[in-house]
Amino acid sequence: MNRAIKSRLSTSEMNYFPDEVIEHIFDFIASHRDRNSISLVNKSWHKIERYSRHQVFIGNCYAISPERLIRRFPCLRSLTLKGKPHFADFNLVPHEWGGFLHPWIDALAKGRVGLEELRLKRMVVSDESLELLSRSFVSFKSLVLVSCDGFTTDGLASVAANCRHLRELDLQENEIDDHRGQWLNCFPDTCTTLVSLNFACLKGETNLAALERLVARSPNLKSLKVNRAVPLEALTRLMSCAPQLVDLGVGCYENEPEPESFAKLMAAIKKCTLLRSLSGFSEVAPVCLTAFYPICENLTSLNLSYAAELQGNHLIEFVQFCKRVQRLWILDSIGDKGLEIVASSCKELQELRVFPSDPHDEEDNNTAVTEVGLVAISAGCPKLHSILYFCKQMTNEALITVARNCPNFIRFRLCILEPNKPDPITSQSLDEGFGAIVQACKGLRRLSVSGLLTDKVFLYIGMYAEQLEMLSIAFAGDTDKGMLYVLNGCKKLRKLEIRDSPFGNAALLADVGKYETMRSLWMSSCEVTLGGCKRLARNAPWLNVEIINENESGRMERNEEDEREKVDRLYLYRTVVGTRRDAPPCVTIL
Amino acid sequence: MEGCPRSRETCPKLLDLIPQERKWYHNEEKNNSDQEKKLELRLAPPGGDEEDLSAMKKTNLDTRNNIKKEAEDKPIFNLSGNHFSPSNKTTYAPPHISHKRTAPGPVVGWPPVRSFRKNLASSSSSKLGNDQINKSGEGEKQVEPKRDGMFVKINMDSVPIGRKVDLNAYSTYEQLSFAVDKLFRGLLAAQRDASGGEGEEKPIIGLLNGKGEFTLTYEDNEGDKMLVGDVPWQMFVSSVKRLRVIKSSEISSALKFGCSKQEKMRN
Repeated sequence: MNRAIKSRLSTSEMNYFPDEVIEHIFDFIASHRDRNSISLVNKSWHKIERYSRHQVFIGNCYAISPERLIRRFPCLRSLTLKGKPHFADFNLVPHEWGGFLHPWIDALAKGRVGLEELRLKRMVVSDESLELLSRSFVSFKSLVLVSCDGFTTDGLASVAANCRHLRELDLQENEIDDHRGQWLNCFPDTCTTLVSLNFACLKGETNLAALERLVARSPNLKSLKVNRAVPLEALTRLMSCAPQLVDLGVGCYENEPEPESFAKLMAAIKKCTLLRSLSGFSEVAPVCLTAFYPICENLTSLNLSYAAELQGNHLIEFVQFCKRVQRLWILDSIGDKGLEIVASSCKELQELRVFPSDPHDEEDNNTAVTEVGLVAISAGCPKLHSILYFCKQMTNEALITVARNCPNFIRFRLCILEPNKPDPITSQSLDEGFGAIVQACKGLRRLSVSGLLTDKVFLYIGMYAEQLEMLSIAFAGDTDKGMLYVLNGCKKLRKLEIRDSPFGNAALLADVGKYETMRSLWMSSCEVTLGGCKRLARNAPWLNVEIINENESGRMERNEEDEREKVDRLYLYRTVVGTRRDAPPCVTIL
Repeated sequence: MEGCPRSRETCPKLLDLIPQERKWYHNEEKNNSDQEKKLELRLAPPGGDEEDLSAMKKTNLDTRNNIKKEAEDKPIFNLSGNHFSPSNKTTYAPPHISHKRTAPGPVVGWPPVRSFRKNLASSSSSKLGNDQINKSGEGEKQVEPKRDGMFVKINMDSVPIGRKVDLNAYSTYEQLSFAVDKLFRGLLAAQRDASGGEGEEKPIIGLLNGKGEFTLTYEDNEGDKMLVGDVPWQMFVSSVKRLRVIKSSEISSALKFGCSKQEKMRN
């Protein structure tokens, strides 16, 4: 909470204010953490805060029940829900594990909540839920689905048809069954309120005529991201009737376009003077990227990470002119040389993500990036604070240099493609390199480590990473000490996810109370045993301790199991509502 | 929770274990004294395994120091950061390492990228037909050969103007068929409109199965007229000289002259 406000107003003074005044003051406090703090001050504030809270963020949908949420915050308008654990993104969580949206929509509808915004991440959404949503909330304005699955374009059709005031429909990287229907046609002719439409992840065909009509009648449309099925000519027409676009995701045009079509595209692009963000390009002839040269200097956000067809030199040619870019997502085909050019051209860069173009080294080409690119970026981009970097190797010297160049990192995620890979020059572990990072970057909130690492790196993390909230560990450490250093040292740790590391029961059980201060812990292919997990569950009834089994056939029989058996996947999280009842057979909740 | 006391009590065991000669930063300067102070912090693991801890740490450090010495002795290490030769340098193996760690081969969920990103590279290379070139064992591994376009003429019955199509842009007959539709649909409609018929654009389909109004044929390098679709795509591309879209009704007249290959394609 703002210290200035705190110091000026003492609680006793504020009690003489009428509730409306206090509520008005609370309106200025948006952060949910601050609001949580306010609500703890006294009963009166708790009550006022309850009724004035419109935005709620729930990091784990099983930490609380929808009914309790609605009881506490009846005036809820915007809800964010997260479901599956992060490693579900990498196929480590069974499909049917959980995170179902339906009970939430059901409860919100029954509670007559005036829901306007819903943001979901890694939840299982069904067409029925979407239909119920579209019918239950008359003021519904914004639906953002990230990494969700379980629904089809029929569900989208309900939303399009029934949400009269829809402003935002943003589908990011979801698994959607595309029935190739006419969901775009379902937007009524009277719908003119769209501000943001993103359906890039849909795999099927798109009714181009319906899309063009929709865009033409949406004067407030600022963000449009189309899917692969939208060809170049259609894109040209869309941009021509929406020159006010700020954010554009393009479709695919694999063949070289006819010169006339290309000229028309360039003309349309030139008119989009407000365009600041560009993405898409999943299958694109390199020349099409050049059509965007007229506006590339205006871009603040550029995502070319799906453009597997663009070779390094094409990427470099384009990116070097994007002098104002702040957020850049790119493939490693840009190479170290390309990153050096980015470093010299893009001085406003704040967030960089370099994805592997060939994750399993199938093509055996040498265009992946190394420590050279990272060092160059750190030296050239003073505003850099977030990085996700997939590379084939890293050295301690490079990491130490990066730490010195960029002490402002908030997020530092390094993924060396080969597990356990040491420093190639010195053959040592990367403990020192990562140690330098955590020591220099005092504001570091998120860290992912990789390469050859011993317990020492965790000693450093525990000692220095005071602001660390999320830590991802894979193939690292030697003994339980490693995990203990982290649990003992990182006071602000909220999420810890570990895979394939030799941490066992001693580390898991050392401080059960720590898990009450964290959102969740994930451990897979580690050394924890069933016995250890059971002991934990007994000592911490306010935790849900879930064991996810390899074979999905049946729950473990209590009599037959061997307590010394290692647990394949463990996921535990704090909760106020006890064991969930929707777990599938492959999940055992202790 | 015991926590991590930030008091300045010394932890002799911990300090002893971290040898003084190891540099933290390569340009160390001011940071060293801070380093030592911070290293005094105790992070006590639970239980009384302090002895085990120190023993284990000593072993680790010895091994590590040995390797470092080796590194300095042997000038073979290429400092340009190139491919690190595994050989015997990977003997650095801490005693309590779990055998799970050294898993060779593809690991589930690794590297941590979403599934659709994993498919990007393979789908793009198959589009270009590169996989057939790269893996044919010709020795030269081209990274991304964008071949020169292979443009062949294509004519359509009743349309006076011909077009050219780049066969390298496709990898299947279906893609080619789709392209033919794109190239000629407008022209065909315009032609019909000009000759007084319906000017409406109708999709040109059924080019490959004999069921459409038109059928796709080609002339090969021996001068023979052939139906498209008999042979594998690459073989077709290597022998085609020009394409022709003929009215399906004309095929029956060709049959009268006994062309057996075409007969096979009828069904």
